[in-house]
Amino acid sequence: MTNPKADLLQGTLDMLILKALSLGPLHGYGIIQRIRRMSGEMMHVEQGALYPALYRIEQRKWVSSKWRHNETGRRAKFYTLTKTGEKQLTEEEASWDRLALVVTRMREAT
Amino acid sequence: MKILLDRIRALIRRDAVLHDIDDELRSHMEMAADDNRETGMSDEDADRAARTSFGNLGSIKDRAYEVRGGGFMETLLQDLRYGIRLLLKHPGFTLVAVATLAIGIGANTAIFSIVNAVLLRPFPFPQPDQIVMVSEFAGGIVSYPNFADWKDDQNLFASTSAVRSNESFNFTGGGEPERLQGRLVSASFLSTLKVQPFPGRDLVADDDRPGAIPTVLLSHAFWNRRFNADPAIVGKPIMLNNQSYTVVGVLPRDFQFDLDADVTIPIGLSADRFKTRGGDPGVHVVARLLPNATEQQAQAALNVVYARLEHEYPSSNTGRRAYLTPMHEYFVGSARQPLLILLGSVGLVLLIACANVANLLLVRASTRKREISVRVALGASRWRIIRELLTGSLLLSLIGAALGVLLALWGTAFIGRQLPASIPRLAEANVDLRVLLFALGASVLTGLLFGLAPAIQASRLNLTDTLKGGNCGSAGRRQHLNRVLVVCEVALTMTLLVGAGLLIQSFLRVMQVDPGFRSENLLTMQVSVNNPDGNQVGLFFKQLQENIRRLPGVKSVALSNGLPLAGVNHPTYFIEGKPLPKNGAEPPAIRYTVSPGYFQTMGIELVKGRVFTDQDTPTTPAVAVIDEALAQRTFPNEDPIGKRLSQSRDFSSAYEIVGIVRHVEQDDFDQRAFRPPQFYFSFNQISPDQLPGSTRRINLLVRTDVEPTSLTAAVRAEIAGLNKDQAVFNVRTMDDIVSQSVAPRRFSMMLLTVFAVAALMLASIGLYGTMSYAVAQKTSEIGLRIALGAQSQNVLRMVIGEGMKLTLIGVLLGLTASFALTRTMKSLLFGVSTTDPLTFLGITLMLAAVALFACWIPARRATKVVPLVALRYE
Repeated sequence: MTNPKADLLQGTLDMLILKALSLGPLHGYGIIQRIRRMSGEMMHVEQGALYPALYRIEQRKWVSSKWRHNETGRRAKFYTLTKTGEKQLTEEEASWDRLALVVTRMREAT
Repeated sequence: MKILLDRIRALIRRDAVLHDIDDELRSHMEMAADDNRETGMSDEDADRAARTSFGNLGSIKDRAYEVRGGGFMETLLQDLRYGIRLLLKHPGFTLVAVATLAIGIGANTAIFSIVNAVLLRPFPFPQPDQIVMVSEFAGGIVSYPNFADWKDDQNLFASTSAVRSNESFNFTGGGEPERLQGRLVSASFLSTLKVQPFPGRDLVADDDRPGAIPTVLLSHAFWNRRFNADPAIVGKPIMLNNQSYTVVGVLPRDFQFDLDADVTIPIGLSADRFKTRGGDPGVHVVARLLPNATEQQAQAALNVVYARLEHEYPSSNTGRRAYLTPMHEYFVGSARQPLLILLGSVGLVLLIACANVANLLLVRASTRKREISVRVALGASRWRIIRELLTGSLLLSLIGAALGVLLALWGTAFIGRQLPASIPRLAEANVDLRVLLFALGASVLTGLLFGLAPAIQASRLNLTDTLKGGNCGSAGRRQHLNRVLVVCEVALTMTLLVGAGLLIQSFLRVMQVDPGFRSENLLTMQVSVNNPDGNQVGLFFKQLQENIRRLPGVKSVALSNGLPLAGVNHPTYFIEGKPLPKNGAEPPAIRYTVSPGYFQTMGIELVKGRVFTDQDTPTTPAVAVIDEALAQRTFPNEDPIGKRLSQSRDFSSAYEIVGIVRHVEQDDFDQRAFRPPQFYFSFNQISPDQLPGSTRRINLLVRTDVEPTSLTAAVRAEIAGLNKDQAVFNVRTMDDIVSQSVAPRRFSMMLLTVFAVAALMLASIGLYGTMSYAVAQKTSEIGLRIALGAQSQNVLRMVIGEGMKLTLIGVLLGLTASFALTRTMKSLLFGVSTTDPLTFLGITLMLAAVALFACWIPARRATKVVPLVALRYE
């Protein structure tokens, strides 16, 4: 698989994590799985990128965390989207849409 | 909140955070392994696959930790480490900056510790705000019979007490006889202040009446000194003035009220001494307000009482009122202004110190320009840079504060020694928690003050300029800031110098005042009179004077009940044939009872008539000598000689005025607005047992040909030779008394002068630094000018001109500020106006001269620039 991560802007990763968590609280492992599924197996986020990003957005209060047991009984740290996080996600999606629109227009213009 | 906790946890329990991350990654791995197993892998394979998918676990952990742990505290520690390393790398800079700040903060802390003790700290009594002092006459005096009329009035106060300090008692029986300071009080004295004696009991009403069994409370210090703090002393008798007093209790160690007293005795025992409704002899009155009552309410109630007294005793109480003053105001009110002025001045010194350190930092920042640029280029945020620089500044100011507090500890003790009694409560000055908080606050504030401007400046670097190595760009702006700081320094220094100059002028003028007596070669000491037999006392003193006069080196000897500079007691006087002054409107005056040799011994010149002689005896007509002030006041256009003066309105005992002498200055020489009239009675015409209580201490005055203290032992021996139980105390030369009376003035003058000189030094260093830096910056320009033919004179003029321009602006600002600020010093000045042109001009010239010198050194250096080197410098 080509590595889209290399070009992944930091903000984009934040957005993907927030998007994944917008479907419900989840632990780090689950977030990676969910992003992969949601992207149609196109996107694989590595642990080394995920956790620093998770901690960073936790410090910005976009998500909160709590140790809980998962469905198979393992202890895992679950992340939940906060109100601020929801707002942030909306904003980032909007600006991403704008960027995508601009890029698309530019390409079609040639 | 959670983030903060997280970060603190990150700091305190770094391991715990790492552990948390570890757990999370492990659980991640296990879940991955679980999923792998589900796809049919063996346990072993599943684990391995999960692990390999992770890559380098350690590096992931590190990066995760950096995000989570690298919070506020972590960064702070990093900055601190970096700051310390920088300080150590530039020891010269560090030394200068820390020393400057230590002196600035130390001086502030020392002065604040005094302000704290004198003005801020409440008296050590419960609810001190409720305690007030009552006064009828100037000096806080109340007539005792008036007080007795309302002291138990339940509608006025919760509790009241008369206090008469500065009484003295001869303590005999057991060891060396000792002169004790005593105070007379009502039985309710301690309960008014809400203080309990321990061991022992409080005074009770039954102790406080004429004819009661004499009782006494001991001060803690006296109890320690003479009775080894033995609690068994309670209930035992001690001998005071040849009379037995039963010790009933000991006052608390920290007890303090007005003058220190070794013994506290019920005033009721000697109530017959206080029969007059006038101010002499009078008492002080302390009272505690009724619960929830305000001072205004108490004052209003007191006015009603005095209206009634006026009605009942028209001859003595017409027009008389009593006034309340909060206790704190009463005792320290007069010290407030000088202290606040000192605090303000020392604050200015700190500001100048800040400006100097800021200047140093600015110059140093220019050497770090490139380093900071690189870091900004690599992505450090501006805030991050400012924070790092500020941490460095705060580090500097905190080190300065730590040293400053040490300085303050020493300084407070030093100041305390300099000024023993003149400012109330000064002995309590020490470095307590509030003072430490003040020092901490001051250091943080100074750190921000001197650090902020340079830090912002540094972070505002024009990246490309700096990295390219150009020496222009932001240098201009930094120079600008430099100059603003120097102008401020000069202005502040100017203000301080003017203040100090005015105080020095005042002091010199005070010292030039002719006090009306000659203080040199004059030995004084106090001897008490206890013997109830007046004749014996008279004989004792007669013999004593003769014996002392025979000592080699003695020119003359005299006795007196008081000394110059001791202030006003409150006898009134009336002149036969003159309209009597209204009650309460009697002019305060001073009465001296002196031996015939007093005027000669004290060096008080006779203006007219004669002074007392040995021919004035109890059997000849009573005579009096008055001073010029009394003569001018009462006899503006006539000859006072032959007129009769009395202390009672009915002239039952009158004294014929036989002479006029020079006026003698009182207090610390400055009560020029009012020169209290003085009159003298002859010691020979009054038997000592008729002297009012406070005057039973007789001053022995010895004028000498030699150094006066060299005769102390011989004089003491003569006294002991006549009566070995005679206590002698307060042995001082008149010069000492004079110098003590101007001690507060000298003290403020000295401190302010020290501050001003420190400021001057700091400001000239600042000016020097700025000009040096300017010269260094302009090396190439100057080199070019010289290469193009500029004379060294022109260069000198250019650099000095620039420095003096800054000085001039500073001086103008400083002059303006001085005009505004010296007004607050009015009460501290003597004989000079607050805008004394001579002082203003002199200070301006002095400051300009110092500034010129500070600019001249770098200017000289500029003329030595070798063009070739300078041009290659870029």
